[in-house]
Amino acid sequence: MTKPYKSQSFYVLAGLLLVLIPVTLYMIFQWVPPIKASNPTEATAQRIFYYHVASAWIGFFAFFIVFLASVIYLWKKERRWENMAVASAEIGTLFMTIVLITGPIWAKPTWGIWWTWDARLTSSLVLWLIYVAYLFLRRYLPDGTRRANLSAVVGIIGFIDVPLVWFSIRWWETQHPNAVVAGGDGSLAPEMLKTLLFCVGIFTILYLLFMQRRLEIARLEDSINRHYKEWETLS
Amino acid sequence: MNVIWAIIRKDFQMEFRTKESITAMWIFSLLIFVIFNFTFEISRLLLLQISGGLLWVAFIFSGMLGLNRSFQVERENGNLRGLSLTPADPGLIYFGKFLSTTFFMLIFEALIFPLFIIFYDIQLSLVTLWIIPISILGTLGFTSLGTILSAVAIHTKQQQILLSLLLWPLITPIIIWAVKTTGDVLAGELSAAFQPVMVRMLVFDVIFTTISYLLFEYVVQE
Repeated sequence: MTKPYKSQSFYVLAGLLLVLIPVTLYMIFQWVPPIKASNPTEATAQRIFYYHVASAWIGFFAFFIVFLASVIYLWKKERRWENMAVASAEIGTLFMTIVLITGPIWAKPTWGIWWTWDARLTSSLVLWLIYVAYLFLRRYLPDGTRRANLSAVVGIIGFIDVPLVWFSIRWWETQHPNAVVAGGDGSLAPEMLKTLLFCVGIFTILYLLFMQRRLEIARLEDSINRHYKEWETLS
Repeated sequence: MNVIWAIIRKDFQMEFRTKESITAMWIFSLLIFVIFNFTFEISRLLLLQISGGLLWVAFIFSGMLGLNRSFQVERENGNLRGLSLTPADPGLIYFGKFLSTTFFMLIFEALIFPLFIIFYDIQLSLVTLWIIPISILGTLGFTSLGTILSAVAIHTKQQQILLSLLLWPLITPIIIWAVKTTGDVLAGELSAAFQPVMVRMLVFDVIFTTISYLLFEYVVQE
């Protein structure tokens, strides 16, 4: 028998998120004290930071999974690794899209501009473009071993390029606020840090949930195709 | 080694019988200079700042023409299948195509550069000679990824647009570095960043040539 459409892990993850996402909203809007800003809009806009950074983190993580799954696919040639790479690429692109949308929403009241060609912004955009191209490639090819091979190759090259893109653009120009967590210039209050880490945790669960759903869809597609082929050979 | 050499010789013979690609690339670059002149009315001072970028826009846009053609000729008569059926290491086929594309681009670049000097009145000095290693490193970066990705894109119907979608974001680093160093050279004065950036370009070339060499097998696999 095939597996049930919604497995138990789905209900566990979905249940967790149902409770914890409202908690993140409470932490972001109530618990964290407002930052010292020249105007109230800027202080409010700053609260988008938690979802913005958490999305970026998940985006990078998802692209790392694409790379890993692609390598394993080329090595083992098993369908499930291909499915995992695609699923992660789609979800990663989604989260990078969120990063690219939330960024300008914050930048307008804070910097006074929607967009600037700074290192972090430009790299995020280039990163997004790399994985959009990956998804286009898959769309243009018919299902099969060739598509799996070619997309794995692009998935590997794309990820190896990421640090190079990042360093080259950072060298080129930078004016984005520093990575305050790692840099430790002390501007991040303890409540802010806790909220951020909590959001990253929740977004990781969200990622796992999306992955689980997407992989199940892929499995369904595969089984439909298999039945279809059987039916074709019978008739 | 024989495999690489055979592919290069084949590509060169084909090109020099028709001279299609290089002529087209050359004319196309000329058009870029002309259009650029109309779309931006450039002052002399501004030109010095952006000339490096302008030159690389011409190189890379025209290079796309060459890349698109490079594997198209292989597909047209089923050559790609023939190549993948030969008992040669696919990595060597990659090197053959990679080197022949690189040579074409370098020849074309050497032909367009004098024109660039004339049109934009670039002051020549000994420093200008640095354009040669920069062009080589920049072109190698462009073609190392360009060759494997055009072999990927050739399997789709939207080959040309897909190649641009795949290649452009990935070559961002090499474009940034090449434009910056070219800018230095054209301004006649090398900045402190010049040497480390050249090294970075070399590293980029080595990384992606190696990876493409290793992965090419999966691209030609039936």
